[in-house]
Amino acid sequence: MPASPGSGALAADPAALRVLVLDNAPPMSFRDRFGQLTGFSVEVARAVCSEMRVNCAFDVVTQSALLPAISQGKADIAAVGLLETPERRAKMLFAKPYYRSMSLWLARPGVVPGQAGVRVAAVVGSVQEAYGRKQGWEMNAVATHGELAEPLISGQAQAVLVPMISALNLQKVAAFRKLGLDATVIHAPELGGDASFAISPYRPELQKEINAALDRIKRNGTYDRINSRFLPFRVS
Amino acid sequence: MIKPLQAVRAGWAFALLAALFMVAFGAAVVLLGLDQQRVIDATSRLQEQTVPEIIRFQRLARNLEQLRQEGERIFAVSSHASRQQSMFVVTLIASHPSILEHPGAARLARETEQFLGEVVRQSMADERRPASRYDEWQRLAARLGVQVDDVSVQGINLANSDLEVAKSAMKLARSKLMMALLLVGVFLLGFMILVRRHLIQPLQQINLALSTLSADRPAPEFKPSTMLEIQAVEESIREHHALLIQNDETRQVLENLANKDGLTGLMNRRHFMQSAEVELQRAQRYRRPVTVAMADLDLFKKLNDTYGHAAGDAVLRAFAGLVQDTLRQSDLVCRYGGEEFAFLFPEIGLAETQKLAERLRARCDAMEVPLPDGRAIKATVSIGLADASECPIEIALKHADEALYEAKRLGRNRVVQCAPPTPVVASEADTQTARLF
Repeated sequence: MPASPGSGALAADPAALRVLVLDNAPPMSFRDRFGQLTGFSVEVARAVCSEMRVNCAFDVVTQSALLPAISQGKADIAAVGLLETPERRAKMLFAKPYYRSMSLWLARPGVVPGQAGVRVAAVVGSVQEAYGRKQGWEMNAVATHGELAEPLISGQAQAVLVPMISALNLQKVAAFRKLGLDATVIHAPELGGDASFAISPYRPELQKEINAALDRIKRNGTYDRINSRFLPFRVS
Repeated sequence: MIKPLQAVRAGWAFALLAALFMVAFGAAVVLLGLDQQRVIDATSRLQEQTVPEIIRFQRLARNLEQLRQEGERIFAVSSHASRQQSMFVVTLIASHPSILEHPGAARLARETEQFLGEVVRQSMADERRPASRYDEWQRLAARLGVQVDDVSVQGINLANSDLEVAKSAMKLARSKLMMALLLVGVFLLGFMILVRRHLIQPLQQINLALSTLSADRPAPEFKPSTMLEIQAVEESIREHHALLIQNDETRQVLENLANKDGLTGLMNRRHFMQSAEVELQRAQRYRRPVTVAMADLDLFKKLNDTYGHAAGDAVLRAFAGLVQDTLRQSDLVCRYGGEEFAFLFPEIGLAETQKLAERLRARCDAMEVPLPDGRAIKATVSIGLADASECPIEIALKHADEALYEAKRLGRNRVVQCAPPTPVVASEADTQTARLF
């Protein structure tokens, strides 16, 4: 993958946009075998930057550091699929959705949501974690999407509540597949719906430009090519 | 024909026409603009809303197709893990909002998910089991294929309504454009007709009237014009014509003053000499007979002294009247000075002139001039004649004057011819004639 746009070297460029990405959430954002950042979210962000004709400097953060960084204006864009919640909307701006998500409950057959004595794994700071806590479930929070399989394999948790795309990724882990989990879609409004990039509340002018760029890449085929590259079906 | 009372200023009339045209054409342009706006709206709606919607349908079709492929894979592969993975994707697709928002696709996807779920579960128990359900799957897969086609076509047809709107707006705009062009044509034609009728034709008439304007002709007549400016020019032409006539009359008066004797109304001496010179040259060129005469009222000084200058003037006027009555139209006569008169008689020789002069003398002799105080006075005239056919006017008059002198000497109240000129040699005559030309 060429270095531009979105290489850390551009961070010094004052005109560049600072874009926050994760590097441990395949297939949305991860490092390829050459160590380059890539993934559905990262490439969509690159395409948007290219459409806007701006240089973007990609900064890798953790899931927990992501939202504070964007709400404090430490970066301009968070290129992560975020569900719009009222709490988040109060702290940051959102671009138009770039895909539609839902949450899956993955557990052994017979283990159902809300069952007593079931520990549920979820990524810390995610809507899934918040939902579980709200339901009064016993939660096992992990730091990254990559660590989600671990509690189930080790038996610390009996179920995992994850976004659709993380679930897709978990299915690729052989040890995880061996657990023979069933997938159930949890139809709760706060667990599904539109996933969007977050925009710094200090850069409201970016919102319109980013939305226009998203519209263009959705029309000109760039978006669908990225979709096909990283995901097994159309997620928009 | 419009009455002249309704006359208007051409500037205002044409400004009004232009304003009407601007309003009509402006309205046409606005109407056209509205249609263009409809086309722009329809095409931007197509671009901003419909195309993304079409693409959404394409993605839905793509997902249904993916569902079919994952189903095929479940039947094709032997690894249970691969089946599970495909089944997982099937679950995701069947529950994805993009599928759920299309009722037909959602129903079929749920059915597919349930069917494939059963197949995968059965395959865990019995590896050969899935093959027995393949026919069933193929029917479902065929329905999925049809649904893919339906969704694709449904999406593409979304563009139709926008295109219809744009097409009808363009058609409407085309007819409006034709109407606007027709309007422009009609206005231009009307404008040209009005300009021709109210400006060009009157100007042509004015031009004709000016080129033939003369005091000898009657004042030009114009058709009533509706344009005030044209009316003003026509009025000026009529005034100019009246002025021409007035000037001509003045010229006539001045000419009379310059050429006539104030007392008798006869030619004055200067004018007589000019006219006589011309007449004499003409006669000599065509070798026509011509004679001159000099007349003088007898004892006029005594008459003046006896009856006063007013009586003398009355006699002079009476004699002038007598001369005009007696002589022919073509004869020239002038008051040569005091009581002396000069004559030129074209086309007659001395013999006939003698008769004419004698008649004048006799009538003068018989004339009585009444005075304001009741008295009447008589006067006689002596006349000397001379041939003028072969000598300059001055010489001829001198000869006549000599004859007059002879008449006086012989006792007045008589007509005396100048003695015939001494014969001259032919060469001399030629020389003299030549000198006249």
